[in-house]
Amino acid sequence: MRTFLKGASSAILATAAAVTAVVSVSSIGQAAEFDGVTIEAKLIGGQQYEALYARIPEWEAATGAKVNIISKKNHFELDKEFKSDIAAGTTDWCVGSNHSSFASQYSALYTDLGDLVSKDTVAEFVQANIKAATFDGKLVMLPRAQFDVSALYYQKDLYEDAEKAAAFEDKYGYPLAVPETWAQVKDQAIFFADPPNFYGTQYAGKDEAIVGRYYEMVVAEGGKLFNDDFSPAFNSEEGKRALQWFVDLYDAGAVPAGTTNYLWDDLGNGFASGTIGLNLDWPGWAGFFNDPSASKVAGNVGVAPAPKGSAGVRTGWSGFHGFSVTEDCENKEAAASLVEFLTNEDSQKLESAAGPLPSRTAVWDYVSEQAKGDPYRSEVLAAFKETAATAFAVPPTPLWIETTNIIYPELQAAILGDKTVDEALADAQESVDELMQEEGVY
Amino acid sequence: MKRLKLPPWLVLLLPAIIILSAVVLIPLVFSLYSSFTSYRLTRPDSIFNWVGLFNYEKAVTDVKFWAAFGRTVLLLAVALNLEMLLGLGLALMVSKVTSGQRLLRTMMMFPMMFSPILVGFQFKFIFNDNVGLVNNALQSLGITDQAIPWLVDGNLAMFSIIFAEVWTATSVFGILILAGLYAIPRDPLEAAKVDGCTSLQSFRYVTLPFLMPFIYIAMAIRSLDVARAYDIVQIMTNGGPARRTELLWTLIGRTGYVDARMGYANAMGYISIFLAIFFTVYFFKKLTQSRRELGMGA
Repeated sequence: MRTFLKGASSAILATAAAVTAVVSVSSIGQAAEFDGVTIEAKLIGGQQYEALYARIPEWEAATGAKVNIISKKNHFELDKEFKSDIAAGTTDWCVGSNHSSFASQYSALYTDLGDLVSKDTVAEFVQANIKAATFDGKLVMLPRAQFDVSALYYQKDLYEDAEKAAAFEDKYGYPLAVPETWAQVKDQAIFFADPPNFYGTQYAGKDEAIVGRYYEMVVAEGGKLFNDDFSPAFNSEEGKRALQWFVDLYDAGAVPAGTTNYLWDDLGNGFASGTIGLNLDWPGWAGFFNDPSASKVAGNVGVAPAPKGSAGVRTGWSGFHGFSVTEDCENKEAAASLVEFLTNEDSQKLESAAGPLPSRTAVWDYVSEQAKGDPYRSEVLAAFKETAATAFAVPPTPLWIETTNIIYPELQAAILGDKTVDEALADAQESVDELMQEEGVY
Repeated sequence: MKRLKLPPWLVLLLPAIIILSAVVLIPLVFSLYSSFTSYRLTRPDSIFNWVGLFNYEKAVTDVKFWAAFGRTVLLLAVALNLEMLLGLGLALMVSKVTSGQRLLRTMMMFPMMFSPILVGFQFKFIFNDNVGLVNNALQSLGITDQAIPWLVDGNLAMFSIIFAEVWTATSVFGILILAGLYAIPRDPLEAAKVDGCTSLQSFRYVTLPFLMPFIYIAMAIRSLDVARAYDIVQIMTNGGPARRTELLWTLIGRTGYVDARMGYANAMGYISIFLAIFFTVYFFKKLTQSRRELGMGA
């Protein structure tokens, strides 16, 4: 018994000593945790992302590691670079910016963060985001405060003119109010349009952007882009109705004639120029639109949740940015520590202060609290929170981007009148089907 | 033991051979090989997946590929001829200037100094339907009250791209033809004058034949440039909308780097190379012929 007690007490002492040692190492020795380690990173570049990168020196000071940013580009350019890296086998850099729309393509490139980050940390994120960042059970990225879903920005004074309201009601038989359905958006956009000086609305017209917009419209109409086996399913009544919406607006001159060439920057700048009435757009623009030095509509901007399609479902194509760690990274622990730092509460608070939406539950609460007393910010957050509640990510197939490259020229052909809606969707469906079969998907 | 002794010519050429193999030959053979595989950038092991002529069959039976091929030939034909005519006009005018010619020559070369990417962005803005310079000017002058979709309309989009190409490269023709003008001997021109030729006749029968070799050299250089036109088009329209301005290399670039289907892209690339080879051979034949007419070559 004595021996046992003696043994037990010495075990306790030893444990206590070990714990003290660990505590002291982690408190005073943090600076040396990754001393001499250099983390090479390929990050998304752009003004709105820089504030977060300015925090990196804090992490360097705390861990003793160095961060070397070897590439800074937008995600489309990074995508090409990552693919070249995979092909050339030059994937020994450590941290990469990732995006939910691209992530499924890089299954071999990035490591499972589930093994490197504690379960408690992962639980602090919005779980829908974590689910969309997990492929085949592998958590490939931690989301940063750049959650994206689109809500409807509008010029408030369009709804304050009694004469206009009466004329609208005369013509369409229902009162003019901020639209709740896409059918109302169409009516109002056509009603407000006065080309070439003013357009009712606008939409992204090329690349993945227009396919994303079409995808969410198909869902809002009650349809789907793919069946469960990833065979294409958009050449349906719902799919046709969705595409017809884009065609009708173009035919009516309610959108700028060049809209099929527009991407996000063109759209954001277009709404800020005051020539667009209604604009479905991302949260990142909220501050810009209401900034008098940058936008002609500042002070006149309203934000409403994304309208619903005929199936009563809101559009809600969503995505988010995140950071991943490569499989070939020499010091994965250090890289994961950097990723954790860039997505921790303080980082998310910093990023979301400028407008973007967070991906941590606690930070959502924090920004809502902060926005009290600022009616515009509160309106923005309420609209996006409502839209985010029913948001959905892109279909999880590594062939997503390639599929969009097949679909978008066909959507454009229908919009510009080169093909009918039926022809365009039939052609797109056939080509996507061919691709899926060629790639052995089914 | 006897050391291996290479002949001196081989030793001297060896650095060049090694460098050329590394940067030209090996990539060329590798890309040719990959065009017979289902190589995808995102799946490096697919390089070993031999599919025979599948990619070539797919390309030659693809309507979109041939449409892009046709559009590239159209761009070549229109852009080259326009550049030649404008370059000839520019060179003739500059050659008549008596003072400040050096300054003019330098100014003429300005467009060539811009990166094609920047030229693309510049014209993308100029031709923007909503905030672009051209539409704003036309609307302010009261010529139109419409927003003309320069980069969307099937014909106008091609026109805008050709305009940008011509703007950036006319001076290539200008400079080469100007060099030709300086090289023309004075005697035949004076003889023509004495014989009573009008200035048009002496241009047509004396100056132009002397200039033809220079024009063909410029054509050969520019045909290679235009046949691989990518950057300006990529920025201005990215081959769209609805493939209305899709050229060979925007299609191939997207297939190879965005869709990651490098095997298929390389097969299309190899078919397209014939276009460049055809134009180069054609212009060199014309060059030899015109030199022969001048009694300059065999």
